[in-house]
Amino acid sequence: MIIHKAKGIWIDGKKTMSKTLPMHEYLNPPFVYIPLLQQASPLKRIVEIGDKVAIGQTVALREGFGAMPIHASVSGTVTAIKKVWHASGRMVEAIEIQNDFQNRMDESIHVQTDVSLLSRNDLVIKMQQAGLSGLGGAGFPTYIKYQAKCPIDVVIINAVECEPYLTCDYMLINSYPEKLLKGLSYFMRAADAKKGVVAFKAYNTHIKESLEPLLLNYPGIELYEVKDIYPAGWEKYIVQKITKKSYSGLPAEAGAIVDNSATAIVFADVVEKNIPLISRVITISGEGIKNPQNFYVPLGTLVKELILLAGGYIEGLDPTKAWYIAGGPMTGRAILIDDLIVNDTLGSVIVKPMPEELKHPACLGCGKCADVCPVYLTPTEIQRAFESKDTKAIKELNAQKCMQCGLCSYVCPSHIEIADYVARAKELLRKGA
Amino acid sequence: MARFANGKAPFLRKTDDLTYGTQVIMRDFLIGLIPLILFAWYKNGIKVYVEGNATLLEMFYPIIFIMLGGLISMVIEGLFFIITDKEVRTLKVMMKKLQLSYAMIPGILLAMILPLYTPIWVLIFGCIMATFVTKLLFGGFGYNIFNPALIGYVAIAFTLMGVINKAGGVLNGSEVLIDAIAGATPLSTLSTTNLLSYQTLVAPYGSLWNFFIGTIPGALAETSALACIISFVWLSARKVIKWFVPVIYIGTVFGLSWLIGIFNGQAGIWFPTFSILSGGLMFGAVFMATEPVTTPKNPLGKIVFALFLGVFTVLFRFIGQYPEGVATSIIFMNIFTMPIDKWTSVIRTQGVTKKTIIKIIILAILIIAIATYALIKANSIYSASIGLPLYIGGWN
Repeated sequence: MIIHKAKGIWIDGKKTMSKTLPMHEYLNPPFVYIPLLQQASPLKRIVEIGDKVAIGQTVALREGFGAMPIHASVSGTVTAIKKVWHASGRMVEAIEIQNDFQNRMDESIHVQTDVSLLSRNDLVIKMQQAGLSGLGGAGFPTYIKYQAKCPIDVVIINAVECEPYLTCDYMLINSYPEKLLKGLSYFMRAADAKKGVVAFKAYNTHIKESLEPLLLNYPGIELYEVKDIYPAGWEKYIVQKITKKSYSGLPAEAGAIVDNSATAIVFADVVEKNIPLISRVITISGEGIKNPQNFYVPLGTLVKELILLAGGYIEGLDPTKAWYIAGGPMTGRAILIDDLIVNDTLGSVIVKPMPEELKHPACLGCGKCADVCPVYLTPTEIQRAFESKDTKAIKELNAQKCMQCGLCSYVCPSHIEIADYVARAKELLRKGA
Repeated sequence: MARFANGKAPFLRKTDDLTYGTQVIMRDFLIGLIPLILFAWYKNGIKVYVEGNATLLEMFYPIIFIMLGGLISMVIEGLFFIITDKEVRTLKVMMKKLQLSYAMIPGILLAMILPLYTPIWVLIFGCIMATFVTKLLFGGFGYNIFNPALIGYVAIAFTLMGVINKAGGVLNGSEVLIDAIAGATPLSTLSTTNLLSYQTLVAPYGSLWNFFIGTIPGALAETSALACIISFVWLSARKVIKWFVPVIYIGTVFGLSWLIGIFNGQAGIWFPTFSILSGGLMFGAVFMATEPVTTPKNPLGKIVFALFLGVFTVLFRFIGQYPEGVATSIIFMNIFTMPIDKWTSVIRTQGVTKKTIIKIIILAILIIAIATYALIKANSIYSASIGLPLYIGGWN
């Protein structure tokens, strides 16, 4: 193999923008919309219009792979089944719940008294019952990872938060450092792992300062500092750095499980109070927002309300010359209508005026895209193979390994949408195969 | 509710910052040429003037000649745009277009590798070959297969060298007066005498130090290794070129020349040093072998490309008809840029596996075979010199 060194580059994080204001708790929006879609699987609705629901009550079921219940995030009445804009870039059916502001809890939410008696299996069942999925952006059902057959040595909490602008994980950890370590220790019990690691980025000294004094109470948990480069938060990179092992499919092959820090904090509540996954932190930031900040909200809240709470758009923002990005700016998706709802995978909404469009020269062949690729692809070759629809060549060039970090487009001096070519080549491969 | 613009991830680009982009890369490339142009001016203009062998106008001639090359290329490309592109009607639109296709670069590079006394019409011919035939006919900037400046150079070298020699050739006003220099560059001496000897190759020009500084006869701006190294450091630091390409290329030539020297009774380190300091090797390695459009794009491809360049340069230089091996080997390897890129990007991403091992072996065998062939051939050509009294020495 060609020497595997830490690839990636430093990118201006622009994180201070949303760090200056404290986290804003907005727990009672007038309406929430529970989307009937998780990852790519549609959900089965089990409530009807007019039903009264309580916080934590099951309103939909995910079936098949990753089967688990989905819960109401506020108490109130189901008033409609409506199509709403979803972070996937499509309109998705959703259950509209009108908040009655009474905060009625479902009876399943109660303080767990015998936490120390819970077995490994109990904890995994709790994950499933709570509808816990990865809050980092992929939304993979957490319990599936803990059902893996391979022996697990280490549970890694990914608090790297690589994407520029995003500070939701950072804010949450600083607010609940103890909960993070608790969640991690429960994860370790659920995986029967001896070791737990919290990986964070080098400049995030606050995380280190708030976690370090607490580590004494949690044997087996360590902190791990990763370099301030993008994409250092990539799962494979972190696992390779910590376990010194490489894998092709799931991290479990290297004896590791990786969870997002927000997932761990939610899991602490799941275990101790039986509160399912009903809320998350979302960063509202970007140059187009007046007061960028983080919000702690029930899932299903309208992003529109949050933007209003953040002071709205800056004056003179021309929406046709600005992006409304669901997710981080490197891997996110442009949403055309600002009518988005918060779902479990949506970590941020960035509103960013477009840079001035310049005329760019053709590809000069500098090869910077190939240099920077963390999985050693040559995007220009993949583009050539894609243009001639040569699926055999695309496969040979390992296009399926692309994890769409977007670095090739980022560094391209000629502003070519090279990452998009690779993504389309990947798509072609999937369809062709 | 507002409608927002569509776009593709990532929404951050390094080019958002105007200190980054192809324009900046090309600007840095032009800045990288400055040490060589200044040295060419010093050696062929100022120095000759100070020694009293040139008029004031002749002192500025090297600079004028290089600028003229750039200008001619721009005019050719401008005419081409007027004829082919209906949008180009005003000077402003045309200048914008010329700026985006970097029209002046082939002409400047070509003028830099031609002898000082090249007639202007020969330069125009070279610029047409470079800009029109090699660049524009292939689709313009970013689509050419061959290095434009080198095609221009080779076209001239194979057809009009006699004209240039008649007009004064490579020797400037001062060098003509030195008897020891028989009107030739060190490499042409080597190719006519077939003698590996310090006396005939290095001594007439002083010492190897002069080779390093560049005060030896040769093309206008390519003689100075020192200026090339300064440019190399600048271009590598600005990430315009990959530092390892010139290093591998020159290193391969150095190693193989050393072996040729040893096999033919010249164990001294002077011969490989002479070999890398003479001719256009330094210039070609820094500016031509790293030219992004016509060389492989992935790093492994660049390494393989540089290795091939090294062995072919040795082959062409010591065995071929013509003294210069750099230009021909780079043009020859330009043909194979695409297959090398294809193979090496597969090897790079898959690593050494059952599928890629054959490709790796084929590439390795090719490189080794060409190198061995060059060594054996060189042996039979230069072995005649073994019987002669040899100068086995070093730097003195």
